[in-house]
Amino acid sequence: MIAAAILLLALLLPSLPLGEWRAFLLDTAQFAFLTSALALAWDLLARSGQLSLAHGAFFGLGAYAAALSAPALGTLPALLAGGLVAALASFLLGLATLRLHGMYFAIATLAFSEVMRTLVLKAQFTGGSIGLPVQPAFSGAFPLGSYYLAVAVLALSAGVSLLLSRGRWHYAMAATRQGEAVARVLGVPVVRVKLLTFGLSAFLGGLVGGVYAMKTLFLSPYDAFGLGRAVEALVVPIFGGLYTTSGPLLGGLIIVGLETWLRLRIGEGYLVIYGLVLILAILFLPRGLVGLFRKGVGRA
Amino acid sequence: MELLLQTLINGVLAAGIYALVASGLALAVGVVGIVNFAHGEFTMLGAFIAYLLFVGSGLDPLVSLGLAALVLFLVGSLTYYGLIRPVLGAPELNQMLLTFGLSVALQNLALLLFGANTRVVSPPYQGSTIHLLGLSFGVVPFASFVLSVVLLGGLYWFLGRTRLGLAVRAVAQNRLAPGLLGIEKERIYLLAFGLSAALAGVAGVMLSVILYASPTVGFAYTLKAFAIIVMAGLGNLGGVVPAAVALALAEALVSTYLPGGGGWVEAVFFLVIFATLTWRSWRAA
Amino acid sequence: MKKLWVVLVTLLAGLSLAQTTLRVGVLLPISTVAGKAALNGVQLGAEQVNASGKVRMELVVVDDGNAPATAVPALTKLMTVDRVDIVIGGLASGVTFALSGPVKQYQPLFLCIGAASSVVEQAFSDYGRFFHYHPWDYHNVAAALEFFKYLYDNGARRVAILYEDGPFGSAGIQTYRQQLERQGYTVQAEPFKSGSGSFTAILTRLKAFRPDILYWIGYDVDALPIAAQTRQVGLEPKLIYGAPPAWPVGFEKNSLSNDIAGMTAWLPSVANAESRRFVTLYRRKFGEVTDEYMAPMGYVIALSLGRAAEAAGSSDKDRIAAELAKVQMDTPFGPLSFKPSDTGRTRYQGFNQSIWLQFQYLEGSRRPVFPPNRAARPLRFPGNY
Repeated sequence: MIAAAILLLALLLPSLPLGEWRAFLLDTAQFAFLTSALALAWDLLARSGQLSLAHGAFFGLGAYAAALSAPALGTLPALLAGGLVAALASFLLGLATLRLHGMYFAIATLAFSEVMRTLVLKAQFTGGSIGLPVQPAFSGAFPLGSYYLAVAVLALSAGVSLLLSRGRWHYAMAATRQGEAVARVLGVPVVRVKLLTFGLSAFLGGLVGGVYAMKTLFLSPYDAFGLGRAVEALVVPIFGGLYTTSGPLLGGLIIVGLETWLRLRIGEGYLVIYGLVLILAILFLPRGLVGLFRKGVGRA
Repeated sequence: MELLLQTLINGVLAAGIYALVASGLALAVGVVGIVNFAHGEFTMLGAFIAYLLFVGSGLDPLVSLGLAALVLFLVGSLTYYGLIRPVLGAPELNQMLLTFGLSVALQNLALLLFGANTRVVSPPYQGSTIHLLGLSFGVVPFASFVLSVVLLGGLYWFLGRTRLGLAVRAVAQNRLAPGLLGIEKERIYLLAFGLSAALAGVAGVMLSVILYASPTVGFAYTLKAFAIIVMAGLGNLGGVVPAAVALALAEALVSTYLPGGGGWVEAVFFLVIFATLTWRSWRAA
Repeated sequence: MKKLWVVLVTLLAGLSLAQTTLRVGVLLPISTVAGKAALNGVQLGAEQVNASGKVRMELVVVDDGNAPATAVPALTKLMTVDRVDIVIGGLASGVTFALSGPVKQYQPLFLCIGAASSVVEQAFSDYGRFFHYHPWDYHNVAAALEFFKYLYDNGARRVAILYEDGPFGSAGIQTYRQQLERQGYTVQAEPFKSGSGSFTAILTRLKAFRPDILYWIGYDVDALPIAAQTRQVGLEPKLIYGAPPAWPVGFEKNSLSNDIAGMTAWLPSVANAESRRFVTLYRRKFGEVTDEYMAPMGYVIALSLGRAAEAAGSSDKDRIAAELAKVQMDTPFGPLSFKPSDTGRTRYQGFNQSIWLQFQYLEGSRRPVFPPNRAARPLRFPGNY
């Protein structure tokens, strides 16, 4: 419900009478949508018990692949290519890390993303450390083109997330998360579940990266593969509510909104408040934002 | 041959401070079970204590070591009481977000108070060099290595030979059984978290001499410390030193022998971790 | 008759008091050292302009977060919500590049304070309201090479370059290498990761090369580790020459900094009238002396803008731009006027390589040592490390 409302609002936002704030809101909203979409992708993987720090890398791979292939392929196929490159990388990574759990998995994925960043930094065709200029979406033919692309990616991520929050697939992922041995006994194809979730999650992350590239029009390894982005992808779902669709969705919008608002209001030192808000959220909203809407479901 | 020897020495000396930061983190992760993202900020506090004392009253960082350890022990204990204890029963991810929030808040508080500037302390021995058999190395890296060894030796003695230390290890190895043995888990947690922060503080003072003091000084080392303790195996305090030495040697060898190797150091560091983790997981099967 | 005069004089005085009011957007990474210094400079300059009474400058300050994802919406807000026509900003090259799209969309008069990368020059090549004050990267290279030529004449033959592997260090590295080799140097270049603090291994490797000059391109965080570890491995170069955008606070008081040379656009000790005036005003407002050249840079931008607005007698951005193009003024960096850039890609380039000067840390402070006409002291070469 929340998801549908947000998506509807996102679609209608450009035509609302927002006055002078319109352009600013659209820009901020677009980055917020991308944050939410990446968080949804991360949450998808977390549902199968895999705590990833590689989503910055999937984001970066998608961004670079889309940016490099856009002149030849056109906008939409390039985005698709970005997603596929990320998915392929995740497949290889997933195969190697199949037997790792918890922190071990997290650090292995962190290592993967640091190595990836160095490769992109050292490669020539990526522009190396100087960076890569990117063409705007649809060669700049539609001013709101990249905005709607962001909405589309958000809708796709939310759709996939919703679809996988019910039915057999949902139980298979939850069972894998809670204990692989038991899941196997129950007849869950654990390897297939883990790899497919990984691929899907990375694909979405790659798409997000591609759209980001076509908005900022410039990529550098330290920005695109930043550890900060991987951490943000994990902070948002925890803040919003893990293993849900509305949690990461709402969480991303609120976190980006909060950060922007604090920056405009307070200016210097606003991140102190931001950090404190995160601490308070954990102490008083242990189930995330969506916990607020589900009173009585055993709040700790 | 001489180059190889020099490279090995460089690597081992660099491992000292890695091991120190990582041991502190290993106490928090291994004993209390908290993935403390704010460990780097504790280190940063140590660096600033050394800096402020040096600039304010000309105190040598060597003297600040003890004070920083004490202050950080208090900071660690307070953090444990105020923030960690309430979420001990919460999911691991919640704890991570909490410490991440603390890390962001502390780092930006320092930014607000001191600005983003890089600051240096200037003790007289900072650039001093020891020449020995055609090899040369700095007094400060050597001293910090020795200090790390002494501190870690003390820590292991404490964990292996004292009643309290054994209780800490018992908690690290099994979270349920100690309760049955009449060990007060909360006190152990408090002690471990305080010690963890104190070690970070000591490391921070060293970093202020070797590198600098700034709001972000803790970040690079903490990231590597995480990798080191995971490579050692969570809860395996004894594995921290070998892991640190292996990684520091890999780094030194790459940047000495590979042309342009300085740009690959980071990648090699993480590649070694990745390979170790995955290889171990497949071998165990 | 007398009465008429009085009326006339009052009328004229009233007219001249009808100030031109300018709303100026300031878009800087205010949580970084350089960004904060630049902001202080702009504020100081705007205060000076306002004190003269002819032009009223209102600043709308926004943090660009030093990241494209923050900077782009921040610029949009300046343009659409605060409705400014003039923007001062563009410190980091990557962020400035990302701003090129929105800037062309909203068409402000863009006064660019930093962004030395020629990638940025390319991005703004077809934009007519772009005034770039800072020298381009090829200017920086040219200034450093002049110094290297001088060192060659003094017997230096081998250069080891340590460069950080981000955009700042790697941008000009190929050019440096070729140009130095053309000057007759033997060059060995090694990348490093800024802030890692571990140089021992790389420096050990360089020992076999026996460099005369150790030239490092990195950040303030690397200054002390390089100085200390160069001694610790016994490299003994004849000169350590660094090119970070800023130096650590208190580095001059550290004995390891002695004899280390570097390049900057400005020092508080620079002996021209404008520089002295700036230092006095800055101390009065902020209670300290700044070493950051971005502070006088921001100050110069605000002053030049005030002057152009006064000459234009209007707040119209194109009339101000036309006047700014004609501005001739003395600044702490020396004379400022706008010319097409050396590559011809942009039309209004402020400073060039002539503002760079080489200094050396000597007895606890930085002193200009090159070029000779601006040197306060002779260069100590070979230095003692």
